[in-house]
Amino acid sequence: MFRLCAAVLLVLVAAAGITRWIKASDHKDSALLAADHAADIADVYTFRSPVHPDNVVLVMTVSGFIPPSEASTTFFDPTVLYQWKIDNNGDAVEDVVIQAFVTGTGGHQVMHFRGPAPASQIGATSRVIEGPETATVPVSNGATPMIASRSGMTVFTDVRDDPFFFDLVQFKKIIAGEAAAFRNPGIDSFAGTNVLAIAVELPSARLGGPRLGVWGTTSRQQF
Amino acid sequence: MERTAYMLRLLPLLALGALAVAGCDDAYAPLSGPRADASVLMHQELRQEDRFGLPAIATVFIPTDLKDAYNEAVPAGDAATFRSLVVAKLMAFGQDAASAKALAGALTPDIQPIDVSQPTGFLNGRKLDDDVITAELHLIFGSNAALNDDHVDANDEPFLPTFPYLAGPHVQ
Repeated sequence: MFRLCAAVLLVLVAAAGITRWIKASDHKDSALLAADHAADIADVYTFRSPVHPDNVVLVMTVSGFIPPSEASTTFFDPTVLYQWKIDNNGDAVEDVVIQAFVTGTGGHQVMHFRGPAPASQIGATSRVIEGPETATVPVSNGATPMIASRSGMTVFTDVRDDPFFFDLVQFKKIIAGEAAAFRNPGIDSFAGTNVLAIAVELPSARLGGPRLGVWGTTSRQQF
Repeated sequence: MERTAYMLRLLPLLALGALAVAGCDDAYAPLSGPRADASVLMHQELRQEDRFGLPAIATVFIPTDLKDAYNEAVPAGDAATFRSLVVAKLMAFGQDAASAKALAGALTPDIQPIDVSQPTGFLNGRKLDDDVITAELHLIFGSNAALNDDHVDANDEPFLPTFPYLAGPHVQ
């Protein structure tokens, strides 16, 4: 959860005047994130489909704190590979992965999906899985979701309301020693903000299981 | 007769509709649009920039100078590399050694566990509406009522009952 981290770090940065630690980035920065916004994972959700109990739903959100004024002008970064890594035998090593990446620019992006399939490379270095895509969907660009399904896997991607809720502002005050307690009622610091979201629903049997361990990653080419 | 004519007039529309549905439902092939093999990512070695398993865990427990290393690391190494930091932090928050160790064991490796044969609810997976922050504050701060609940219990927008479940964007 980078944005929580960012909040904590911002406090530290402010306190100590440290700025050198912040990674250089050629991508959109924000005051709160001050880092690689496009590759910045906000949250990962994994749940059984409420509609089809044999399906599992995977959601990844990135590039948090997109204000309403930038909802229609914030796009995916075609140089980032988004992945779900799934361990299905309890050793904390990915057995299957689902990959997603976009091509195209502006409001004409298309997201391509590969997997679930064995990772062609395990660990912190990844490659796009060779072979055909398992699904493709245009980035929706609007309130009405554009959804694609192929072979039982359903996919969607677009800017959406950030599903996360938390009184981050008060948390920051607590961390900074400016408050001793949360307020009641709290105020959702994420209310009214957007994220870039990717959602996949597929039969959970295709991931193995029934016990799974899921995490999300973002990767880039290193120069 | 009139009815048949009406239906006949509708046929092209129905056919178009069926095509549209088929197009949505299967094999969206952007023949004229961007193709996957046009991606700059193809055949490249890609290095991990960020990772995410359990909400807020890395944030709370991983110190600033190790944050990049943590984001670039794999979960399989979490117990060896980072578990002692989690234990130390939990003890600093007031937990005794035994409970700190037990909780740290559940939080590393930093992976979101789910048994899909059981109903979902944090920590068995994570639903969109799970109040994960309050759950974690309870785990970390126990019965300390000042800190164990942020008193934000739900999202600002209702979630959809069907895929993609996420609420629509806030726009101007």
